[in-house]
Amino acid sequence: MRRLRIGVDTGGTFTDFVVLDEDRGTLDVFKVPSTRPDQADAIIGGLADYLSRSGDPAESVAFFCHGTTVGTNAILEANGARTGLVVTEGFRGIYEVGEQTRGHGSIIYDLFFEKPRALVPARLTEEVLERVGSRGEVQLPLDEKSARMAIEQLVRHKVDSVAVCLLFSFKHPEHEQQLKRLFGEIAPEINVSISSEVSPEIREYYRMSTTVVNAYLNPLLGRYVHSLDGRLHELGVPTDQRYIIRSNGGVASFETARDRSVQTILSGPAAGVVTAQHVASSAGIPNLVTFDMGGTSTDVALIKEGEPVRRMGGKVHGLDVLVPMLDIHTVAAGGGTIAWVDEMEALQVGPRSAGSDPGPACYGKGGTEPTVTDANVALGVLSADQPLAGGALKLDRDAAERAIYERIAKPLGLSVTEAARGIVEIVNVKMQEAIKVVSSNRGYDLRDFYLFAFGGAGPLHACQIAEEMGMKGVVIPPYPGVTSALGLLLSDVRHDYVHSDLRDLNDVQPGQAESIFLGLRDRGMAQLRSEGFSPDLCRFVWDMDLRYIGQGYELTVALPDIPHLLDDLRQLRQRFDEAHLQLTGHFAPNERVEVVNYRVSAIAKVPRAPLAVPLPDHGSLDLAHAGDTAVFFHDRFETTPMYQRSFLAAGMEVTGPAVILQNDSTTVLGPGQAGTMDAWGYLRVESRL
Amino acid sequence: MALDPITAQVIQNRLSGIVQEMQTNIFRTGYSTIVRESQDASCMILDANGAVVGEHVILPLHIAALPEVVRAIYAAYQGRIYPGDAFITNHPYIAGVTHSIDMAVAVPVFVGERLLAFCASIAHKSDLGGMVPGTGSGNARELFQEGIQYPPVKFIDRGEVVPEVEAILRANSRTPDLILGDIRGQVGTARLGEERLHDMVARYGLDTVLDTFADLQDKTEKRVRRVIAGWEDGIFEGEAWVDNDGIELDRPIRYHVRIEKTGERILFDFSQSADQTLGPLNVRPPLVRGCCYYAMVAMIDPELGNNGGLARCIETRFRPGSVLDPVFPAPTNTYMASATAVAEAVLQAMNGLIPQKKVAGMGGVGGMVIGGQRDDGSSYVQYELIGAAYGARSGKDGVSGVSVLLDNAKTAPIEVIETEFPVQVRRFELIADSGGAGRHRGGLAVRREYNILAPRAQLTLRGGKHTQPAFGIEGGSPGRLGACIINPGTENEQSLPSRFGGVALLRGDILRLEKAGGGGLGSPKDRPWEQLVEDVLNGYVSYESAVSDYGADPDKLGEVLRDWRGTN
Repeated sequence: MRRLRIGVDTGGTFTDFVVLDEDRGTLDVFKVPSTRPDQADAIIGGLADYLSRSGDPAESVAFFCHGTTVGTNAILEANGARTGLVVTEGFRGIYEVGEQTRGHGSIIYDLFFEKPRALVPARLTEEVLERVGSRGEVQLPLDEKSARMAIEQLVRHKVDSVAVCLLFSFKHPEHEQQLKRLFGEIAPEINVSISSEVSPEIREYYRMSTTVVNAYLNPLLGRYVHSLDGRLHELGVPTDQRYIIRSNGGVASFETARDRSVQTILSGPAAGVVTAQHVASSAGIPNLVTFDMGGTSTDVALIKEGEPVRRMGGKVHGLDVLVPMLDIHTVAAGGGTIAWVDEMEALQVGPRSAGSDPGPACYGKGGTEPTVTDANVALGVLSADQPLAGGALKLDRDAAERAIYERIAKPLGLSVTEAARGIVEIVNVKMQEAIKVVSSNRGYDLRDFYLFAFGGAGPLHACQIAEEMGMKGVVIPPYPGVTSALGLLLSDVRHDYVHSDLRDLNDVQPGQAESIFLGLRDRGMAQLRSEGFSPDLCRFVWDMDLRYIGQGYELTVALPDIPHLLDDLRQLRQRFDEAHLQLTGHFAPNERVEVVNYRVSAIAKVPRAPLAVPLPDHGSLDLAHAGDTAVFFHDRFETTPMYQRSFLAAGMEVTGPAVILQNDSTTVLGPGQAGTMDAWGYLRVESRL
Repeated sequence: MALDPITAQVIQNRLSGIVQEMQTNIFRTGYSTIVRESQDASCMILDANGAVVGEHVILPLHIAALPEVVRAIYAAYQGRIYPGDAFITNHPYIAGVTHSIDMAVAVPVFVGERLLAFCASIAHKSDLGGMVPGTGSGNARELFQEGIQYPPVKFIDRGEVVPEVEAILRANSRTPDLILGDIRGQVGTARLGEERLHDMVARYGLDTVLDTFADLQDKTEKRVRRVIAGWEDGIFEGEAWVDNDGIELDRPIRYHVRIEKTGERILFDFSQSADQTLGPLNVRPPLVRGCCYYAMVAMIDPELGNNGGLARCIETRFRPGSVLDPVFPAPTNTYMASATAVAEAVLQAMNGLIPQKKVAGMGGVGGMVIGGQRDDGSSYVQYELIGAAYGARSGKDGVSGVSVLLDNAKTAPIEVIETEFPVQVRRFELIADSGGAGRHRGGLAVRREYNILAPRAQLTLRGGKHTQPAFGIEGGSPGRLGACIINPGTENEQSLPSRFGGVALLRGDILRLEKAGGGGLGSPKDRPWEQLVEDVLNGYVSYESAVSDYGADPDKLGEVLRDWRGTN
């Protein structure tokens, strides 16, 4: 019997599968259409089909890891749990006021703007008598009578889930714990999230918002995971190694993921970054910008020296969440993004998207609005004879050109080709601006970075974008369409812990800091142990959040080894100054520094899928050559050879103009660009400098 | 050759990308806390005539100031502007700068001999001299007390720092390193924009870029004129008030606009506004024009470019000696309260022009400062910008607890305040019934209550609407007034005006700050029952107000409430 490791990544249009044969190290990849409302239908159906095709028994599945959009969808579609909130008496304003600002850009002019929708209405917010002070001292003990009254009200109002967030609970969690016990006693059916567990950090609004999001999603994710778990059992999959990838790029067991649902909201895009991280650290390309261009949106992230940039919180779908996550920047533009002409007769691209139904005009499913994909068809980049997504879709060039003509070319007095070129140029500028957000705007020099392009549309646009931005080159992985799913077989189990203790760095006693760190480590160790990992598989990462006194934000500084480093806090101080200089271009060695948070990540290694793919022993360009097509570059159509990627052997070079075809994506090399297959099966395009 | 529309659009997208890159850079490299944390800095690209061609809104009024800066540079340096120069100025009268604690930096961008553009920014400074640390004093009676005034001068001449100017800057600030660090950051940011513009010219050609600058303004002008022409001709008036100028506490200040709209022309006449004030509430005409740009963009389309094309459509009239056209050297440092009132008056007048986009009065802006000594003798300054509320909008309630119009400040976390300052926050909540009643209810204001733990401290308030409420429209009620009360409910209770400085506080004093609510729109009797019930259950409207102001059936509402609370 084979031993199979399976990664399943649910996307808006397709559910992607990667199946690794543990002994042989071979990969099977395939896609099935995603299902709604129950994403599990596609997963179970796709898996059952695969097993019956391959003849493997269900027991051969030794590992199952999943990237899900259940949380994201619940937020976007506002169908999370009926949620209540419990706060300190007198402080209902924290959640209702939120940040108080409106953000930057055109929203400042928008007199009709709304704040992000509150997930809990004020009438489901209850107050309890209690107060803890800034040193964690109890100023007013929790009044049990007021607590019981609050709980009874919420029970009467039939909430499914409750968020509890009291002032300074990160210093003194006992009052929240007491409330959790009371809920368990009075109403055990209600799912309770307390802020001192979900996000034990200073700054009450962000902690509260995070706890509310968690409460809002927990019941839903719980039901989903429970159902998926049950159906895997029914299918006969015995393994306990069932994981979900979270926003931090690590995986967690079904049980853990379910109780901390807020940590799964970037589950989808995280896996692709993990793949890139492993390519960066193993294939000798340490600096990458990931470029995952799909149908409706594009995700970009930066990997420096093999490590993805992380952030300790931020806005996700307009909601403030304070949990560690990969620093992924998303723009609402992809292959399905619609082009249109505005009132000032200017060509605009996005933000609306044609989605998968009707989809771009070229899908021939009744779409009449031109999209980026239609423009690529009109330019000959995507050809009608080369169906998308492994044959699932045939492209209708006439429909694409008709849509572009009617909606863009005719009103603007342009040819269809000019209009199509314009659509692609404008979407490429948007992509470039997104790439700048994670790179040059944060002090990184793009000349040191390769663009790691994947997703259905990434390789189509990558070579031109990277060249225009002066990047070092482009790397296109073997299976661009399932690169995210592959990340599911590369992720470690990871749990993040934080402790807030705002204090002047000069006043921090090494012994005290060490005991905070060791306390967090013990929690991580216990968690990993309960998931069945032996201590020799576990490692820990230590970080501190520091800031100059008076600053409104902090920087995370990594500590290589705690006891050693805490012996000399001045050294830590110096590392902070250096980090500040790198990120902001300046530092202030004479200003005082304060500690805000202590962080520990507990990581357990799991066996990984190989990144290299088998290549043909000796290919040739002739063998790979799949005919010629006419592609529009710069100012004219040029005869452009098409090559089948599967016939390209290691070391072979393809010079542009060229179109490289494979099942799940298409790569375009511009005139004069050259791509080489490396020994791992990755296509590398070096910039001409 | 006619400009191809695709290239024009690509260049326009790139221009906005360049400004965003400059913006990020100025925040990244800003040296002082105020630039880094409050993000009180804006970058722009202007064409050689000083018309804005690229912007990314941070603070809308900065957009109106920089064209004046360029005009002043020409006035002083015509024929002596060279590649590699960088100009600075903070002068509200000579160069139209917002107030003299803001420093403008402008760098001319040349292509060969040809002056293509200016890359410019305005950023708040930590200190440029004057009566008090931080330069802007609420007690200033003339410009000369509001810091050192710099007319446009070269900080850098053909690539070389002018040592005399640097020396004068250094000698006239309480924080010379910070301000010079910030100014260098602004120059670096402008140079970044310059480099990007050069790349753009290399790629698309000088003529194409110049054509695009003209084209994007022409398009905006054409669109705005077309929209204006679609509005009904007529005369429309609006007014708003600020409680006082911080010096003459009993004299409310009136801001008035009379809009004359004929065909595709629109004139904003401010001549009936109050006389200029003794205190620093005055605001200069370029910024008042900025308020008009703000209102026009808001009314036409928030995505409309705020560029030179829009500016060409706006005609204005002022009365010299008024609060909106003060005579030099009248002080201007707390101009923001006036600017907000101007924006409100203009929006009110425009309610007549665009009946489908009506907006009621706003809950006002303002900051609070508590400064004092801790028990260990160290001093502290607790500075908070507390938001207020939007008035009701056509078809929508107002937004509660938010920064309004031209203002965009963040709330300060209670847990950080209590950790850093000797103060305990006792309450933070929305105030029931503070939103003006109406078919659409005004936004609710915020109440914040503090217990002073320092042995002694001083309180300064730059608020508003303690005597002049946010107006309601079409039968909607005005919003609730704001208040600042020391020791409420005790025999020492003391009610304070909205604008003052230096009130003494002692340990154990309770300070209750209540912001003003937004105005309502339409008759409260027309508010649908379901929405009214929601408001009552949410605690936004009291039972009493629902009955007396909204005309709810007391029995029916009482039953709903008892049912909700389970007290049946």
